[in-house]
Amino acid sequence: MFTGMGAAIEMRGVTVRFPSRGGEVTALDGLDLTVEPGQVFGFLGPNGAGKTTAMHVLLGFTEATAGTARLFGRDVRESIARQRIGYLPEHPDTYRFLTGHELLDTTARLFKLDGRTRRMRIEGSLEAVGIGDAAARRVATYSRGMMQRICLAQALINDPDLVILDEPTGGLDPIGRMDIRRIIGELRDRGKTVFFSSHELSEVELVCDTLAILCRGRIVAEGPADTLVAPGERLEKVFMKVIADAEASS
Amino acid sequence: MTRTLTVARVVWLDVIRRKDFYVLLILMALLLVALVSMNLFGLGGVTAYVADIGLMMSWVFTWILAISIGSRLLPQEESRGTIFSLLAKPVTRLELILGKWLGAWSIVSVATVLFYGLVFAVTALHGGRFPGWIVLQAIVLHAMVVAIVCAAALMFSTRLNSDAAATLTGALTATSFLLVPRIPEFVAQAGGLRGGLLLFLYNLLPHFEIFDLRMRVLHDYGAVSAATFMMVIGYGLLVTIGFLGLGWIGYRGKQFTRGSLSGY
Ligand SMILES: Nc1ncnc2c1ncn2[C@@H]1O[C@H](COP(=O)(O)OP(=O)(O)OP(=O)(O)O)[C@@H](O)[C@H]1O
Ligand SMILES: [Mg+2]
Repeated sequence: MFTGMGAAIEMRGVTVRFPSRGGEVTALDGLDLTVEPGQVFGFLGPNGAGKTTAMHVLLGFTEATAGTARLFGRDVRESIARQRIGYLPEHPDTYRFLTGHELLDTTARLFKLDGRTRRMRIEGSLEAVGIGDAAARRVATYSRGMMQRICLAQALINDPDLVILDEPTGGLDPIGRMDIRRIIGELRDRGKTVFFSSHELSEVELVCDTLAILCRGRIVAEGPADTLVAPGERLEKVFMKVIADAEASS
Repeated sequence: MTRTLTVARVVWLDVIRRKDFYVLLILMALLLVALVSMNLFGLGGVTAYVADIGLMMSWVFTWILAISIGSRLLPQEESRGTIFSLLAKPVTRLELILGKWLGAWSIVSVATVLFYGLVFAVTALHGGRFPGWIVLQAIVLHAMVVAIVCAAALMFSTRLNSDAAATLTGALTATSFLLVPRIPEFVAQAGGLRGGLLLFLYNLLPHFEIFDLRMRVLHDYGAVSAATFMMVIGYGLLVTIGFLGLGWIGYRGKQFTRGSLSGY
Protein backbone atom coordinates (compact mmCIF):
# COMPACT_ATOMS: atom_id res chain seq x y z
CA MET A 1 0.00 0.00 0.00
CA PHE A 2 0.89 3.59 -0.45
CA THR A 3 2.87 4.86 2.49
CA GLY A 4 1.68 8.45 2.65
CA MET A 5 4.38 10.64 1.18
CA GLY A 6 2.54 12.67 -1.44
CA ALA A 7 2.16 11.94 -5.10
CA ALA A 8 3.36 8.64 -6.52
CA ILE A 9 4.99 10.51 -9.39
CA GLU A 10 5.77 14.18 -9.46
CA MET A 11 7.65 15.81 -12.31
CA ARG A 12 8.16 19.55 -12.31
CA GLY A 13 9.48 21.40 -15.34
CA VAL A 14 11.46 18.40 -16.50
CA THR A 15 13.47 19.14 -19.60
CA VAL A 16 15.76 16.64 -21.25
CA ARG A 17 18.01 17.61 -24.11
CA PHE A 18 20.29 15.15 -25.83
CA PRO A 19 23.34 16.38 -27.64
CA SER A 20 23.18 15.27 -31.22
CA ARG A 21 24.93 15.91 -34.50
CA GLY A 22 24.81 19.61 -35.23
CA GLY A 23 22.68 20.61 -32.27
CA GLU A 24 20.37 19.17 -29.67
CA VAL A 25 17.28 17.01 -29.51
CA THR A 26 14.72 18.17 -26.99
CA ALA A 27 13.05 14.99 -25.78
CA LEU A 28 11.16 16.57 -22.88
CA ASP A 29 10.24 20.21 -22.77
CA GLY A 30 9.30 21.43 -19.30
CA LEU A 31 7.17 18.42 -18.46
CA ASP A 32 4.81 18.77 -15.49
CA LEU A 33 3.12 15.60 -14.39
CA THR A 34 1.47 14.36 -11.22
CA VAL A 35 0.25 10.83 -10.71
CA GLU A 36 -1.72 10.29 -7.52
CA PRO A 37 -1.59 7.06 -5.55
CA GLY A 38 -4.17 4.55 -6.71
CA GLN A 39 -4.47 5.92 -10.22
CA VAL A 40 -4.19 3.83 -13.34
CA PHE A 41 -2.53 6.39 -15.53
CA GLY A 42 -2.24 6.00 -19.29
CA PHE A 43 0.72 7.88 -20.77
CA LEU A 44 0.06 8.35 -24.47
CA GLY A 45 1.74 10.05 -27.37
CA PRO A 46 3.03 9.43 -30.88
CA ASN A 47 6.40 7.81 -31.56
CA GLY A 48 9.22 9.99 -30.34
CA ALA A 49 6.97 12.07 -28.06
CA GLY A 50 9.20 11.46 -25.04
CA LYS A 51 7.36 8.76 -23.09
CA THR A 52 10.32 6.46 -22.66
CA THR A 53 12.58 9.40 -21.85
CA ALA A 54 10.20 10.53 -19.08
CA MET A 55 10.28 7.03 -17.60
CA HIS A 56 14.06 6.94 -17.84
CA VAL A 57 14.21 10.15 -15.84
CA LEU A 58 11.89 8.65 -13.22
CA LEU A 59 14.17 5.64 -12.82
CA GLY A 60 17.37 7.66 -12.69
CA PHE A 61 18.85 6.37 -15.98
CA THR A 62 18.79 9.77 -17.58
CA GLU A 63 19.37 12.98 -15.71
CA ALA A 64 17.03 15.87 -16.39
CA THR A 65 18.71 18.89 -17.98
CA ALA A 66 16.35 20.99 -15.85
CA GLY A 67 13.53 20.35 -13.40
CA THR A 68 12.91 17.82 -10.64
CA ALA A 69 11.38 14.37 -10.48
CA ARG A 70 10.15 12.56 -7.40
CA LEU A 71 8.72 9.13 -6.59
CA PHE A 72 6.63 9.08 -3.41
CA GLY A 73 8.39 12.26 -2.37
CA ARG A 74 11.91 10.89 -2.93
CA ASP A 75 14.30 12.41 -5.41
CA VAL A 76 14.74 9.88 -8.22
CA ARG A 77 18.51 10.16 -7.94
CA GLU A 78 18.44 8.29 -4.62
CA SER A 79 18.49 4.52 -5.03
CA ILE A 80 15.99 4.15 -2.17
CA ALA A 81 13.38 5.86 -4.36
CA ARG A 82 13.18 2.61 -6.34
CA GLN A 83 12.40 0.38 -3.36
CA ARG A 84 8.64 0.47 -3.93
CA ILE A 85 8.76 0.61 -7.73
CA GLY A 86 8.33 -2.03 -10.39
CA TYR A 87 9.47 -1.32 -13.92
CA LEU A 88 9.05 -3.02 -17.26
CA PRO A 89 11.43 -1.55 -19.88
CA GLU A 90 10.47 -0.77 -23.46
CA HIS A 91 12.57 -3.62 -24.83
CA PRO A 92 12.54 -6.06 -21.96
CA ASP A 93 15.58 -8.24 -21.81
CA THR A 94 17.23 -9.98 -18.94
CA TYR A 95 19.88 -12.49 -17.91
CA ARG A 96 19.30 -15.22 -20.44
CA PHE A 97 21.65 -17.64 -18.73
CA LEU A 98 19.36 -17.90 -15.71
CA THR A 99 16.19 -19.94 -15.49
CA GLY A 100 12.97 -18.00 -14.99
CA HIS A 101 12.90 -19.11 -11.40
CA GLU A 102 16.52 -18.14 -10.71
CA LEU A 103 15.92 -14.76 -12.30
CA LEU A 104 13.03 -13.99 -9.98
CA ASP A 105 15.00 -15.27 -7.01
CA THR A 106 17.89 -12.98 -7.92
CA THR A 107 15.55 -10.03 -8.28
CA ALA A 108 13.93 -10.75 -4.94
CA ARG A 109 17.36 -10.81 -3.32
CA LEU A 110 18.11 -7.37 -4.72
CA PHE A 111 15.13 -6.20 -2.69
CA LYS A 112 16.51 -8.04 0.35
CA LEU A 113 13.39 -10.16 0.79
CA ASP A 114 13.73 -13.02 3.26
CA GLY A 115 13.49 -16.67 2.19
CA ARG A 116 9.80 -17.19 2.90
CA THR A 117 8.63 -13.97 1.31
CA ARG A 118 10.86 -14.73 -1.64
CA ARG A 119 9.30 -18.11 -2.29
CA MET A 120 5.82 -16.68 -1.90
CA ARG A 121 6.40 -13.77 -4.24
CA ILE A 122 8.10 -15.91 -6.87
CA GLU A 123 5.11 -18.27 -6.89
CA GLY A 124 2.72 -15.33 -7.02
CA SER A 125 4.41 -13.46 -9.85
CA LEU A 126 4.94 -16.58 -11.93
CA GLU A 127 1.29 -17.34 -11.63
CA ALA A 128 0.24 -13.78 -12.40
CA VAL A 129 2.12 -13.71 -15.70
CA GLY A 130 1.26 -17.30 -16.59
CA ILE A 131 4.61 -18.90 -17.27
CA GLY A 132 4.76 -21.28 -14.34
CA ASP A 133 5.55 -24.21 -16.66
CA ALA A 134 8.61 -22.61 -18.17
CA ALA A 135 10.09 -21.32 -14.92
CA ALA A 136 12.61 -24.16 -14.75
CA ARG A 137 13.91 -23.39 -18.23
CA ARG A 138 16.67 -20.96 -19.18
CA VAL A 139 15.31 -17.58 -20.23
CA ALA A 140 17.44 -17.95 -23.39
CA THR A 141 14.87 -20.43 -24.68
CA TYR A 142 11.88 -18.13 -24.13
CA SER A 143 9.80 -16.66 -26.93
CA ARG A 144 9.48 -12.88 -27.15
CA GLY A 145 6.15 -12.86 -25.36
CA MET A 146 7.51 -15.12 -22.63
CA MET A 147 10.47 -12.78 -22.22
CA GLN A 148 8.00 -9.94 -21.79
CA ARG A 149 6.12 -11.94 -19.20
CA ILE A 150 9.14 -12.96 -17.15
CA CYS A 151 10.32 -9.34 -17.12
CA LEU A 152 6.89 -8.29 -15.92
CA ALA A 153 7.05 -10.94 -13.19
CA GLN A 154 10.38 -9.45 -12.22
CA ALA A 155 8.79 -6.01 -12.01
CA LEU A 156 6.14 -7.32 -9.61
CA ILE A 157 8.40 -9.30 -7.28
CA ASN A 158 8.68 -6.59 -4.62
CA ASP A 159 4.90 -6.10 -4.53
CA PRO A 160 5.48 -2.51 -5.69
CA ASP A 161 3.21 0.40 -4.84
CA LEU A 162 3.93 1.99 -8.19
CA VAL A 163 4.35 0.03 -11.40
CA ILE A 164 5.87 1.78 -14.41
CA LEU A 165 5.26 -0.12 -17.64
CA ASP A 166 6.67 0.98 -20.99
CA GLU A 167 4.39 -0.50 -23.64
CA PRO A 168 3.52 -3.63 -21.68
CA THR A 169 1.40 -5.14 -24.44
CA GLY A 170 3.97 -4.82 -27.24
CA GLY A 171 4.81 -8.29 -28.56
CA LEU A 172 2.02 -10.03 -26.70
CA ASP A 173 -0.68 -12.27 -28.16
CA PRO A 174 -4.36 -11.44 -27.50
CA ILE A 175 -4.30 -13.68 -24.44
CA GLY A 176 -1.19 -11.92 -23.20
CA ARG A 177 -2.85 -8.54 -23.67
CA MET A 178 -5.82 -9.72 -21.71
CA ASP A 179 -3.45 -10.99 -19.00
CA ILE A 180 -1.85 -7.55 -18.79
CA ARG A 181 -5.26 -5.97 -18.47
CA ARG A 182 -6.13 -8.42 -15.72
CA ILE A 183 -2.84 -7.76 -13.88
CA ILE A 184 -3.38 -4.01 -14.07
CA GLY A 185 -6.94 -4.49 -12.81
CA GLU A 186 -5.71 -6.55 -9.88
CA LEU A 187 -3.09 -3.96 -9.02
CA ARG A 188 -5.73 -1.23 -9.10
CA ASP A 189 -8.04 -3.25 -6.87
CA ARG A 190 -5.24 -3.54 -4.35
CA GLY A 191 -4.79 0.25 -4.32
CA LYS A 192 -1.56 0.24 -6.33
CA THR A 193 -0.56 2.95 -8.78
CA VAL A 194 0.02 2.02 -12.41
CA PHE A 195 1.75 4.35 -14.85
CA PHE A 196 2.04 2.96 -18.34
CA SER A 197 2.61 3.97 -21.92
CA SER A 198 0.85 2.30 -24.78
CA HIS A 199 -0.16 2.66 -28.39
CA GLU A 200 -3.05 0.23 -27.99
CA LEU A 201 -5.70 2.84 -27.42
CA SER A 202 -8.53 0.34 -27.22
CA GLU A 203 -6.69 -1.37 -24.35
CA VAL A 204 -5.99 1.93 -22.67
CA GLU A 205 -9.66 2.84 -22.77
CA LEU A 206 -10.52 -0.31 -20.91
CA VAL A 207 -8.17 0.05 -17.96
CA CYS A 208 -7.15 3.68 -17.38
CA ASP A 209 -8.90 6.11 -15.11
CA THR A 210 -6.55 8.99 -15.94
CA LEU A 211 -4.80 9.93 -19.18
CA ALA A 212 -2.13 12.26 -20.40
CA ILE A 213 -1.18 12.80 -24.01
CA LEU A 214 2.38 13.82 -24.73
CA CYS A 215 3.53 15.48 -27.92
CA ARG A 216 7.05 16.73 -28.58
CA GLY A 217 7.95 16.53 -24.93
CA ARG A 218 4.95 18.47 -23.65
CA ILE A 219 1.64 17.42 -22.17
CA VAL A 220 -1.05 18.51 -24.61
CA ALA A 221 -4.07 16.94 -22.93
CA GLU A 222 -4.59 15.51 -19.47
CA GLY A 223 -7.42 14.50 -17.19
CA PRO A 224 -9.79 11.79 -16.04
CA ALA A 225 -10.49 9.33 -18.83
CA ASP A 226 -14.24 9.92 -18.73
CA THR A 227 -13.91 13.70 -19.09
CA LEU A 228 -11.27 13.55 -21.80
CA VAL A 229 -13.25 11.05 -23.79
CA ALA A 230 -16.92 11.99 -23.83
CA PRO A 231 -19.44 9.12 -23.57
CA GLY A 232 -19.93 7.48 -26.92
CA GLU A 233 -16.67 8.87 -28.28
CA ARG A 234 -13.56 6.83 -29.02
CA LEU A 235 -10.17 7.58 -27.49
CA GLU A 236 -8.56 7.09 -30.87
CA LYS A 237 -10.48 10.03 -32.31
CA VAL A 238 -9.66 12.27 -29.36
CA PHE A 239 -5.99 11.30 -29.67
CA MET A 240 -5.84 12.15 -33.38
CA LYS A 241 -7.51 15.49 -32.83
CA VAL A 242 -5.34 16.49 -29.87
CA ILE A 243 -2.17 15.62 -31.75
CA ALA A 244 -3.30 17.39 -34.91
CA ASP A 245 -4.10 20.55 -32.89
CA ALA A 246 -0.74 20.39 -31.10
CA GLU A 247 1.17 19.93 -34.34
CA ALA A 248 -0.72 22.83 -35.93
CA SER A 249 0.00 25.23 -33.08
CA SER A 250 3.72 24.43 -32.85
CA MET B 1 26.03 -6.58 1.34
CA THR B 2 23.16 -8.84 0.23
CA ARG B 3 22.90 -6.91 -3.00
CA THR B 4 26.62 -7.00 -3.67
CA LEU B 5 26.64 -10.76 -3.11
CA THR B 6 23.61 -11.19 -5.37
CA VAL B 7 25.34 -9.30 -8.17
CA ALA B 8 28.45 -11.45 -7.63
CA ARG B 9 26.36 -14.61 -7.78
CA VAL B 10 24.97 -13.58 -11.15
CA VAL B 11 28.55 -13.13 -12.39
CA TRP B 12 29.35 -16.68 -11.32
CA LEU B 13 26.33 -18.15 -13.03
CA ASP B 14 27.04 -16.13 -16.16
CA VAL B 15 30.65 -17.23 -16.37
CA ILE B 16 30.24 -20.89 -15.53
CA ARG B 17 27.29 -21.32 -17.85
CA ARG B 18 29.12 -19.91 -20.83
CA LYS B 19 30.52 -22.73 -22.88
CA ASP B 20 33.43 -20.57 -24.02
CA PHE B 21 34.59 -20.07 -20.45
CA TYR B 22 34.80 -23.62 -19.32
CA VAL B 23 36.16 -24.75 -22.65
CA LEU B 24 38.86 -22.11 -22.19
CA LEU B 25 39.48 -23.26 -18.63
CA ILE B 26 39.76 -26.91 -19.65
CA LEU B 27 42.06 -26.03 -22.55
CA MET B 28 44.30 -24.01 -20.26
CA ALA B 29 44.39 -26.83 -17.75
CA LEU B 30 45.27 -29.36 -20.45
CA LEU B 31 47.91 -27.10 -21.90
CA LEU B 32 49.39 -26.61 -18.48
CA VAL B 33 49.50 -30.33 -17.76
CA ALA B 34 50.94 -30.98 -21.23
CA LEU B 35 53.66 -28.35 -20.83
CA VAL B 36 54.66 -29.55 -17.42
CA SER B 37 54.62 -33.24 -18.36
CA MET B 38 56.42 -32.75 -21.65
CA ASN B 39 59.28 -30.99 -19.95
CA LEU B 40 59.53 -33.66 -17.35
CA PHE B 41 60.28 -36.21 -20.00
CA GLY B 42 62.22 -33.94 -22.32
CA LEU B 43 64.66 -32.33 -19.95
CA GLY B 44 64.69 -35.43 -17.85
CA GLY B 45 64.43 -33.72 -14.72
CA VAL B 46 64.88 -30.81 -12.53
CA THR B 47 61.34 -30.42 -11.28
CA ALA B 48 61.96 -26.79 -10.36
CA TYR B 49 62.39 -25.86 -14.02
CA VAL B 50 59.23 -27.66 -14.92
CA ALA B 51 57.23 -26.08 -12.14
CA ASP B 52 58.72 -22.76 -13.19
CA ILE B 53 57.14 -23.04 -16.62
CA GLY B 54 53.87 -24.21 -15.11
CA LEU B 55 53.69 -21.30 -12.69
CA MET B 56 54.63 -18.80 -15.37
CA MET B 57 51.80 -20.08 -17.54
CA SER B 58 49.44 -19.93 -14.55
CA TRP B 59 50.28 -16.24 -14.23
CA VAL B 60 49.64 -15.64 -17.91
CA PHE B 61 46.39 -17.61 -18.01
CA THR B 62 44.87 -16.01 -14.92
CA TRP B 63 45.94 -12.60 -16.20
CA ILE B 64 44.06 -13.27 -19.44
CA LEU B 65 41.01 -14.55 -17.55
CA ALA B 66 40.93 -11.57 -15.19
CA ILE B 67 41.09 -9.13 -18.08
CA SER B 68 38.56 -10.86 -20.28
CA ILE B 69 36.00 -11.37 -17.51
CA GLY B 70 36.56 -8.07 -15.71
CA SER B 71 36.28 -5.96 -18.81
CA ARG B 72 33.05 -7.36 -20.19
CA LEU B 73 30.73 -7.54 -17.19
CA LEU B 74 29.53 -3.93 -17.22
CA PRO B 75 29.55 -3.36 -21.02
CA GLN B 76 27.53 -6.50 -21.60
CA GLU B 77 24.82 -5.28 -19.23
CA GLU B 78 24.49 -2.31 -21.54
CA SER B 79 24.76 -4.07 -24.89
CA ARG B 80 22.20 -6.68 -23.85
CA GLY B 81 19.91 -4.04 -22.39
CA THR B 82 19.74 -5.77 -19.00
CA ILE B 83 21.05 -2.68 -17.27
CA PHE B 84 17.58 -1.10 -17.26
CA SER B 85 15.94 -3.88 -15.28
CA LEU B 86 18.92 -3.99 -12.95
CA LEU B 87 19.18 -0.27 -12.19
CA ALA B 88 15.42 -0.05 -11.71
CA LYS B 89 16.04 -1.97 -8.48
CA PRO B 90 17.28 -0.19 -5.37
CA VAL B 91 20.88 -1.15 -6.23
CA THR B 92 23.48 1.57 -5.97
CA ARG B 93 26.14 1.94 -8.61
CA LEU B 94 28.76 1.19 -5.96
CA GLU B 95 27.07 -2.09 -5.04
CA LEU B 96 26.99 -2.95 -8.72
CA ILE B 97 30.70 -2.37 -9.22
CA LEU B 98 31.66 -4.14 -6.00
CA GLY B 99 29.46 -7.11 -6.87
CA LYS B 100 30.91 -7.41 -10.35
CA TRP B 101 34.43 -7.17 -8.99
CA LEU B 102 33.77 -9.74 -6.28
CA GLY B 103 32.32 -12.15 -8.82
CA ALA B 104 35.19 -11.74 -11.28
CA TRP B 105 37.88 -11.88 -8.60
CA SER B 106 36.52 -14.95 -6.84
CA ILE B 107 36.05 -16.92 -10.02
CA VAL B 108 39.55 -16.17 -11.34
CA SER B 109 40.99 -16.92 -7.92
CA VAL B 110 39.39 -20.34 -8.00
CA ALA B 111 40.98 -20.84 -11.42
CA THR B 112 44.31 -19.79 -9.88
CA VAL B 113 44.06 -22.43 -7.18
CA LEU B 114 43.12 -24.97 -9.81
CA PHE B 115 46.15 -24.11 -11.96
CA TYR B 116 48.58 -24.22 -9.03
CA GLY B 117 47.04 -27.50 -7.97
CA LEU B 118 47.63 -28.96 -11.43
CA VAL B 119 51.22 -27.77 -11.62
CA PHE B 120 52.12 -29.12 -8.19
CA ALA B 121 50.20 -32.36 -8.73
CA VAL B 122 52.05 -33.14 -11.95
CA THR B 123 55.46 -32.25 -10.52
CA ALA B 124 54.71 -34.21 -7.34
CA LEU B 125 54.05 -37.27 -9.46
CA HIS B 126 57.67 -37.02 -10.43
CA GLY B 127 59.02 -36.43 -7.02
CA GLY B 128 58.95 -32.64 -6.88
CA ARG B 129 58.15 -31.31 -3.39
CA PHE B 130 57.42 -27.69 -2.58
CA PRO B 131 57.06 -26.19 0.90
CA GLY B 132 53.37 -25.80 1.77
CA TRP B 133 53.59 -22.48 3.59
CA ILE B 134 55.29 -20.66 0.77
CA VAL B 135 52.91 -22.16 -1.75
CA LEU B 136 50.00 -20.84 0.28
CA GLN B 137 51.56 -17.39 0.47
CA ALA B 138 52.25 -17.48 -3.26
CA ILE B 139 48.62 -18.31 -4.01
CA VAL B 140 47.28 -15.58 -1.73
CA LEU B 141 49.53 -12.94 -3.28
CA HIS B 142 48.68 -14.20 -6.75
CA ALA B 143 45.00 -13.73 -5.87
CA MET B 144 45.86 -10.15 -4.86
CA VAL B 145 47.22 -9.53 -8.35
CA VAL B 146 44.01 -10.96 -9.78
CA ALA B 147 42.11 -8.51 -7.55
CA ILE B 148 44.07 -5.58 -8.95
CA VAL B 149 43.74 -6.65 -12.58
CA CYS B 150 39.98 -7.25 -12.22
CA ALA B 151 39.55 -3.85 -10.58
CA ALA B 152 41.52 -2.11 -13.34
CA ALA B 153 39.49 -3.86 -16.04
CA LEU B 154 36.23 -2.87 -14.35
CA MET B 155 37.44 0.69 -13.96
CA PHE B 156 38.15 1.04 -17.67
CA SER B 157 34.91 -0.69 -18.62
CA THR B 158 32.75 1.84 -16.79
CA ARG B 159 33.33 4.26 -19.63
CA LEU B 160 34.68 2.14 -22.48
CA ASN B 161 33.41 -0.85 -24.39
CA SER B 162 34.81 -4.23 -23.43
CA ASP B 163 37.42 -4.38 -26.21
CA ALA B 164 38.91 -1.02 -25.34
CA ALA B 165 38.81 -1.77 -21.63
CA ALA B 166 40.53 -5.12 -22.12
CA THR B 167 43.21 -3.61 -24.34
CA LEU B 168 43.95 -0.79 -21.93
CA THR B 169 44.01 -3.08 -18.92
CA GLY B 170 46.34 -5.42 -20.76
CA ALA B 171 48.64 -2.58 -21.73
CA LEU B 172 48.67 -1.05 -18.26
CA THR B 173 49.25 -4.27 -16.36
CA ALA B 174 51.81 -5.67 -18.81
CA THR B 175 53.75 -2.41 -18.71
CA SER B 176 53.70 -2.45 -14.96
CA PHE B 177 54.74 -6.05 -14.71
CA LEU B 178 57.57 -5.88 -17.24
CA LEU B 179 58.84 -2.35 -16.90
CA VAL B 180 58.24 -1.09 -13.38
CA PRO B 181 60.89 -3.29 -11.70
CA ARG B 182 63.46 -1.91 -14.16
CA ILE B 183 62.64 1.76 -13.73
CA PRO B 184 65.28 2.36 -11.01
CA GLU B 185 67.93 1.34 -13.57
CA PHE B 186 66.61 3.91 -16.01
CA VAL B 187 66.34 6.61 -13.37
CA ALA B 188 70.00 6.20 -12.54
CA GLN B 189 70.89 6.72 -16.18
CA ALA B 190 68.40 9.47 -16.98
CA GLY B 191 68.62 11.87 -14.06
CA GLY B 192 67.14 15.37 -14.11
CA LEU B 193 63.57 15.97 -15.19
CA ARG B 194 63.28 12.68 -17.06
CA GLY B 195 64.49 10.87 -14.00
CA GLY B 196 61.91 12.66 -11.89
CA LEU B 197 59.17 11.69 -14.31
CA LEU B 198 60.28 8.07 -14.24
CA LEU B 199 60.34 8.13 -10.48
CA PHE B 200 56.81 9.48 -10.50
CA LEU B 201 55.70 6.63 -12.76
CA TYR B 202 57.53 4.19 -10.53
CA ASN B 203 55.41 5.30 -7.61
CA LEU B 204 52.18 5.56 -9.57
CA LEU B 205 52.07 2.24 -11.41
CA PRO B 206 51.22 -0.93 -9.52
CA HIS B 207 54.18 -3.04 -8.42
CA PHE B 208 53.22 -6.53 -9.41
CA GLU B 209 56.72 -7.84 -8.81
CA ILE B 210 56.31 -7.80 -5.04
CA PHE B 211 53.43 -10.28 -5.31
CA ASP B 212 55.50 -12.75 -7.27
CA LEU B 213 56.76 -15.52 -4.99
CA ARG B 214 57.56 -18.01 -7.74
CA MET B 215 61.32 -18.00 -7.09
CA ARG B 216 60.79 -18.56 -3.39
CA VAL B 217 58.50 -21.48 -4.06
CA LEU B 218 60.79 -23.08 -6.63
CA HIS B 219 64.05 -22.71 -4.75
CA ASP B 220 62.67 -22.98 -1.24
CA TYR B 221 63.99 -19.62 -0.06
CA GLY B 222 61.69 -19.82 2.94
CA ALA B 223 58.39 -18.12 3.68
CA VAL B 224 57.96 -14.36 3.72
CA SER B 225 57.76 -12.90 7.21
CA ALA B 226 54.25 -12.28 8.47
CA ALA B 227 54.81 -8.53 8.64
CA THR B 228 56.05 -8.25 5.07
CA PHE B 229 53.29 -10.55 3.86
CA MET B 230 50.60 -8.39 5.48
CA MET B 231 52.20 -5.23 4.12
CA VAL B 232 52.14 -6.58 0.59
CA ILE B 233 48.49 -7.58 1.02
CA GLY B 234 47.75 -4.12 2.39
CA TYR B 235 49.40 -2.57 -0.64
CA GLY B 236 47.38 -4.84 -2.95
CA LEU B 237 44.15 -3.88 -1.25
CA LEU B 238 45.03 -0.22 -1.53
CA VAL B 239 45.65 -0.45 -5.26
CA THR B 240 42.46 -2.50 -5.74
CA ILE B 241 40.41 0.02 -3.79
CA GLY B 242 42.05 2.81 -5.78
CA PHE B 243 40.97 1.31 -9.10
CA LEU B 244 37.49 0.46 -7.84
CA GLY B 245 37.15 3.98 -6.46
CA LEU B 246 38.09 5.51 -9.79
CA GLY B 247 35.65 3.12 -11.45
CA TRP B 248 32.91 4.23 -9.11
CA ILE B 249 33.61 7.88 -9.88
CA GLY B 250 33.37 7.05 -13.57
CA TYR B 251 30.14 5.11 -13.13
CA ARG B 252 28.33 7.20 -10.55
CA GLY B 253 27.05 9.89 -12.85
CA LYS B 254 26.83 7.76 -15.96
CA GLN B 255 23.67 8.24 -17.99
CA PHE B 256 22.02 5.34 -19.69
CA THR B 257 20.33 6.49 -22.85
CA ARG B 258 19.66 4.79 -26.10
CA GLY B 259 22.57 6.52 -27.81
CA SER B 260 25.16 5.76 -25.16
CA LEU B 261 24.12 2.11 -25.04
CA SER B 262 24.54 1.38 -28.71
CA GLY B 263 27.94 3.05 -28.67
CA TYR B 264 27.22 5.49 -31.48
N1 LIG C 1 20.17 9.22 -26.41
C1 LIG C 1 19.47 10.00 -27.23
N2 LIG C 1 20.12 10.87 -28.04
C2 LIG C 1 19.44 11.67 -28.86
N3 LIG C 1 18.11 11.69 -28.96
C3 LIG C 1 17.41 10.85 -28.18
C4 LIG C 1 18.04 9.95 -27.29
N4 LIG C 1 17.10 9.23 -26.65
C5 LIG C 1 15.92 9.67 -27.14
N5 LIG C 1 16.09 10.64 -28.06
C6 LIG C 1 15.04 11.37 -28.78
O1 LIG C 1 14.11 11.86 -27.85
C7 LIG C 1 12.80 11.81 -28.41
C8 LIG C 1 11.89 11.08 -27.46
O2 LIG C 1 12.20 9.70 -27.49
P1 LIG C 1 11.40 8.63 -26.62
O3 LIG C 1 12.08 7.34 -26.77
O4 LIG C 1 11.24 9.15 -25.26
O5 LIG C 1 9.99 8.58 -27.36
P2 LIG C 1 8.73 7.65 -27.03
O6 LIG C 1 7.60 8.55 -26.74
O7 LIG C 1 9.05 6.63 -26.05
O8 LIG C 1 8.48 6.99 -28.47
P3 LIG C 1 7.94 5.52 -28.85
O9 LIG C 1 6.46 5.59 -28.77
O10 LIG C 1 8.38 5.35 -30.25
O11 LIG C 1 8.54 4.54 -27.93
C9 LIG C 1 12.96 11.18 -29.78
O12 LIG C 1 13.01 12.23 -30.72
C10 LIG C 1 14.26 10.47 -29.70
O13 LIG C 1 14.88 10.37 -30.96
MG1 LIG D 1 9.13 4.57 -26.07
